[in-house]
Amino acid sequence: MRGLVATHGGIGAELVEVVTMIMGPAEGLAGLSNHGKSASDLTVEIASWLRGDADPSASGMEPAIIFIDDYGGSCANAAQLACRPGDPVAVVSGVNLAMLLGFVTWREELDLDELVQRLIERGRTAITRLGPVS
Amino acid sequence: MTVVLARVDDRLIHGQVTVGWCQQLRPDRLLLANNAIAADPWQSRVYASSVPPRTEVSILSIAEAVALLKDPEVGREKVLLLTGSLPEMSDLIHLGAPIARVNLGGIHVSPGKRELLPFIYLDDLDVRALCRMLAAGVSIFAQQVPGGREFSLGPREIRDMGGAC
Repeated sequence: MRGLVATHGGIGAELVEVVTMIMGPAEGLAGLSNHGKSASDLTVEIASWLRGDADPSASGMEPAIIFIDDYGGSCANAAQLACRPGDPVAVVSGVNLAMLLGFVTWREELDLDELVQRLIERGRTAITRLGPVS
Repeated sequence: MTVVLARVDDRLIHGQVTVGWCQQLRPDRLLLANNAIAADPWQSRVYASSVPPRTEVSILSIAEAVALLKDPEVGREKVLLLTGSLPEMSDLIHLGAPIARVNLGGIHVSPGKRELLPFIYLDDLDVRALCRMLAAGVSIFAQQVPGGREFSLGPREIRDMGGAC
């Protein structure tokens, strides 16, 4: 299972960098920025990543999750438009570090739908208020 | 129908529009004029899903958009009009859409385009479209988001880009 973190600015690449600092090298997990790109260029770039064009570890269209930072943005639009009907691809918004750590941990154990469900739960669980109210 | 913003943005419906400009201008309708997307139900659905709640969205061909914008029966709705390119905006104006001012919001780098501003790159077709709009009395400004710096574009700036108008 491959993963692409497609976000505004450098958030995606930084999240991937932090994941590898914690978990070690994460093959098939990449960051992508929308910076300076039109909707059509971004769509083409994501479609190319899905086909594994520039990734020697990819063998054609593998199952993949595209993580985006927020829906209703250029990354969300491009991620959806880059998928064709029947592609084994899920687009998940609201990416955070906990979600990506879960992805690297569980991606070989679960199928795409189960993994997506688990990651959404993991990402949501990480959003919480900590400590006593002072 | 009042066009509160006519914007050229090759990212079409995205955060700078739906969060930035829509929160500032509170349009009743977001109108995307694009022949290819209007003809494709899947693309239309993806773009329509990015629009904030309480804002209507129409994704129409250039000709349909002009007809809607000129229709006297359509009340006093506030419309935020979007195209993905300068020639499309110029076509809308040429066909009679009531637009006095055009915002260049984002035209990103691609082969054959030269930098005017970090978020605006133009090729010869873009410069020709700008000249045509200026000749029609339309004023042009570049600005990414509300509160961001506004750059007014006239014949001099366009000459500097290699245009003759």
